[in-house]
Amino acid sequence: MAKLIFLWLKCLVSCCIVEAVFEDQVGKFDWRQQYVGKIRFSHFDSHVQSSKKVLMATEKNVFAALNTRTGELFWRHVDKTGPEGNIDAFLLHGQDALLVVGNGRLLRSWDISVGGLNWEVVLDSGSFQSACLIGQQDTVKHVAVLKKTVISVHYLSNGHQKWIENLPESENIDYQALYSGGNGEVYVLGIVPHSHIAIVVYSMEDGEIIKQTSVEAPWLSNIQTSCAVVGQGMITCVDSLTMSLYTLDMHTQSKMTQIPLQSLGLEVTPHFHPVLVSHQPNAAHQPLSEFLLQLGPEHHLLLQLNSGQMVVLRDFKPVRHMTPVLTSCVFVSESEHNLQIDILLKGLLHLSLFNAETGRRLLDTTQFLSIDPNVGKPESIYVQAFLKKDDSVSYRVLVQTEDHTLTFIHLPGRVMWTREEALSEVVTMEMVELPLTGTQAELEGEFGKKADGLLSMVLKRLSSQLILLQAWVSHLWKLFYDARKPRSQVKNEISIENLSRDEFNLQKMMVMVTASGKLFGIDSKTGSILWKQYLNNVPSNAAFKLMVQRTTAHFPHPPQCTLLIKDKDTGLATLHVFNPIFGKKSHITPPALTQPILQSLMLPLMDQDYAKVLLLIDDQYKVTAFPSSKNVLQQLQETDLTTTQIWEVIIPTEIQKVVTVKGKRSNEHVHSQGRVMGDRSVLYKYLNPNLLAVVTESTDVHQERSFIGILLIDGVTGRIIHEAVQRKAKGPVHVVHSENWVVYEYWSTKSRRNEFSVIELYEGMELYNSTVFSSLDRPHAPHVLQQSYIFPSAISAMEATLTEKGITSRHLLIGLPSGGILSLPKMFLDPRRPEIVSEQSREENLIPYAPELLIRTEWFINYNQSVSRVRGIHTAPSGLESTCLVVAYGLDIYQTRVYPSKQFDVLKDDYDYMLISSVLFALFFATMISKRLAEVKLLNRAWR
Amino acid sequence: MMHISSILLFIMYFAALVAVSWCFTDMETGPGAALFSPPNGGDRFKIEGRAIVPGLKTQDWVSSARVLVEGEEYVGFLRTDGSFTVNDVPSGSYVVEIVSPTFRFEPVRVDITSKGKMRARLVNYIKTSEVIRQPYPLQIRASGPHSYFMKRETWGWTDFLMNPMVMMMVLPLLIIVLLPKVVNTNDPEMRKEMEQSMNMLSPNPELPDVSELMTKLFSGSKGSSKTSSSSSSSKGPRPAVKRR
Repeated sequence: MAKLIFLWLKCLVSCCIVEAVFEDQVGKFDWRQQYVGKIRFSHFDSHVQSSKKVLMATEKNVFAALNTRTGELFWRHVDKTGPEGNIDAFLLHGQDALLVVGNGRLLRSWDISVGGLNWEVVLDSGSFQSACLIGQQDTVKHVAVLKKTVISVHYLSNGHQKWIENLPESENIDYQALYSGGNGEVYVLGIVPHSHIAIVVYSMEDGEIIKQTSVEAPWLSNIQTSCAVVGQGMITCVDSLTMSLYTLDMHTQSKMTQIPLQSLGLEVTPHFHPVLVSHQPNAAHQPLSEFLLQLGPEHHLLLQLNSGQMVVLRDFKPVRHMTPVLTSCVFVSESEHNLQIDILLKGLLHLSLFNAETGRRLLDTTQFLSIDPNVGKPESIYVQAFLKKDDSVSYRVLVQTEDHTLTFIHLPGRVMWTREEALSEVVTMEMVELPLTGTQAELEGEFGKKADGLLSMVLKRLSSQLILLQAWVSHLWKLFYDARKPRSQVKNEISIENLSRDEFNLQKMMVMVTASGKLFGIDSKTGSILWKQYLNNVPSNAAFKLMVQRTTAHFPHPPQCTLLIKDKDTGLATLHVFNPIFGKKSHITPPALTQPILQSLMLPLMDQDYAKVLLLIDDQYKVTAFPSSKNVLQQLQETDLTTTQIWEVIIPTEIQKVVTVKGKRSNEHVHSQGRVMGDRSVLYKYLNPNLLAVVTESTDVHQERSFIGILLIDGVTGRIIHEAVQRKAKGPVHVVHSENWVVYEYWSTKSRRNEFSVIELYEGMELYNSTVFSSLDRPHAPHVLQQSYIFPSAISAMEATLTEKGITSRHLLIGLPSGGILSLPKMFLDPRRPEIVSEQSREENLIPYAPELLIRTEWFINYNQSVSRVRGIHTAPSGLESTCLVVAYGLDIYQTRVYPSKQFDVLKDDYDYMLISSVLFALFFATMISKRLAEVKLLNRAWR
Repeated sequence: MMHISSILLFIMYFAALVAVSWCFTDMETGPGAALFSPPNGGDRFKIEGRAIVPGLKTQDWVSSARVLVEGEEYVGFLRTDGSFTVNDVPSGSYVVEIVSPTFRFEPVRVDITSKGKMRARLVNYIKTSEVIRQPYPLQIRASGPHSYFMKRETWGWTDFLMNPMVMMMVLPLLIIVLLPKVVNTNDPEMRKEMEQSMNMLSPNPELPDVSELMTKLFSGSKGSSKTSSSSSSSKGPRPAVKRR
């Protein structure tokens, strides 16, 4: 008996094991793109002369090093999401990068050459204010961190705390800034708004207070925005009300000197808060005595403060009338005292270097660069200046634009690389089929048309075969032509023009919507971005819903996608209608939506132009149809669209709240009506297309009383088909609802583990009405089976595979926090798995029940290509029944194909043509020889 | 390869089955969840340890590795010497795992009492209260590289020949071809013996032709062919001995 089980398990395993990827398939049909997010702080690695690193700390709590030559990642560290992983400050000193993380909770030092952690220390609680490196006698060995109430100094080498001191009168004074001039003293600047500035000077050695002064400043409300330390410890502030600059020598003076802007011949743009920028190239030295003053959105000045004298070195005012718009000025380089200006001039980026000491423009440093007007304004620039061999200054610039695009530019206006960091935050996506080429369309057309006579049909057949032959010959010719060229020149450039559907419809257009409001069209085969569109009127807290209204199947009508953009606060929505293949905005004007939108839904109905109808329900319960032609209204049999309540299920909100409502995917097909049992009878599936899975979570979060509930509701009648409650469990719940099953995952607070539960619905041994399903006519409640399993990992996203006809067995694709995407066969999540193996269950190929599901690395479809923070997995059917296209998106994007039941409809890619042909030839020759031999034998026998 | 993995899996199944029976017997006592207080705003602790990949410099793998505590709830990074600290963890029980795209590390469960006492034990999801102590501070040794890939089935002559179907085809062929040559049919003594055996085999005496007998044997049921092959093989060496 045991032997039998063993044998049977063996065959079972051998049929399950095939899910893995073969090593030679790496990169054949999959690709990964890694992103970091929008930059918050960035520094160039200037430690080594020939360094190619640019370091960046981003708003996605990622700290990464990029190769400046290629734009690829050297390494990347992904911290926790949310405020606990938030990067507050980034200081770079030599080979050490110091990060303050989680509102001043942690101080980390990274070794930027290998990307490993040097040390990490926990700082005292209290909200973070500022951090700075402290130098002493030309060396920098310490870092100071200023919090609301304390200041602490740490060693750079090991992170140990040198000293920590409470700030005097911290309940009244708001300490905001830190300054160190390299003389062993630490200056802490605090403010009592509209009263005075408090300056506390600490000794770097032991943390003793050397001096404590307070200076009257009734006009000042915030040090960080309007003050800067310039030159030899001069605090310089700007005030827009009194239109003056104020200076104070921290070492000697106790009263601020007022310098009216008018005396310098300057003026502040009305309603603009002036900004001061100073530059301290090295923490061991004093800041430059030159500083930048921004008086208007386009008006920057370079000023110099020399022994109390204020001198305007250069006025970067728009010279020619209104055309050049100065967007930013930054200080660059440590030795050369240079300054970088960039000017946006109608889609043209204009960059040049100026000498900060004189205000003169440096020769040969101006560059023009035309940038796509579609990308928005430059938001921030980071400059790496360096000396060339002939001692002339050159520089590279990293520009971040409003749409989160990073562009790296080398001096003569050459774009080295661009990165679309908006793709680090994909919200939703769709996969759209590519259009047919002219020839393909013609061939297809032959089958569609009505027959008009035998002869013409034959002629048509012949002509289409001729076209095919022609295409084949030209393809051969191209192959031959390419083979003569060196390998490096042959590039299969994919552009929008030569996009066409491939044989098995495996190549599709991925339409991705990102949180920043930028849309992308990506070729699924190579991952290259074919079009991008930045929508600049998208609110920051928008919710998106992307719908394919018309596919490419309705030539000559172009395919059409509609993006619903809804402001989460006001509920007001706009529609963006576009062509998913070219990314162009459609000429169709969507309806103007004046009321907040509650819900949207796509109907399977089509108008005369084959566009599916989109219904939008506003807060007055009025319905807007798009497109709303007469044809549509006729089909809906109504002229004035309104809503009526048909049913309601009350879920008491004080006990539980609805988390997710999951229906089935509209493009899902099920081609097996039932399951064949061991005794050859059929168990029919309950395939209700209107079934909704509603997941609720308890409002009580105590681990003994929390629970999650799952309701299966018929969407047409409101009938509750099934209700299950998981006690001592909590979310987040991941649900997949498909065919006749619902799989959900939750956290069991009792056993502290993740658990999977599967519900399957069956009609029973007989089908009530096999021709058509109606929710209104189903007298028998379905049989419900449920089973739960332990899953040894947390989950970030879950989705089920989807194939063209639904014959192929299903797998669950599970995104794990470790970065793997697990392809778990659905047969492991089958509530009919028996506890005791019987003859019948063996006949049915059921796996005996085991409480724990296994995670096998062979089942990782992305092998070592980890995908960070998977937010969603999108599956789409291909033209092959065996193949399902998978895109996992999060911080990274990963695209691949999966074959849940192996590649049963195409020859495997390791198919041995040599073997089969050699066997055939061998057989052929063997028959020839044996025939000859037989002849000889017959002849001999005849002679005998 | 396939056999080993299947055996392994079988062992795992068996272990799981055994474990489930344990689980059911263990139900009355209940897991020790009440031992640890839920995370609150109280004290925060740190989990310390070291990850080791034998025979590899730490620089080569630390930049791609992370320490995950209970999914992604707390994240730690590896220092350049392979050690790690996860700060700011409230008391409770956590599964600590080191994730690296190249190396496999076993997860460890770390329990932190509300007073900050730490202990590490093996992860057992089925019997959650079982304690098999692990060293603390954690010492996590990589158990080798991840096996992501399947081996391609390569085609070789030995595989082909060892195929049972081929064996079934080749062996009778050999018998048909070689047996008449080995057995000297002209020897009258031999012939007599053979006839005897034939008569023994089949009760019908009207079948003296050897070839006809063979065809009958091979087209006949499997069981009879087995006996014939065994009888013929047992017969095989005997005449050879005689000839010598």
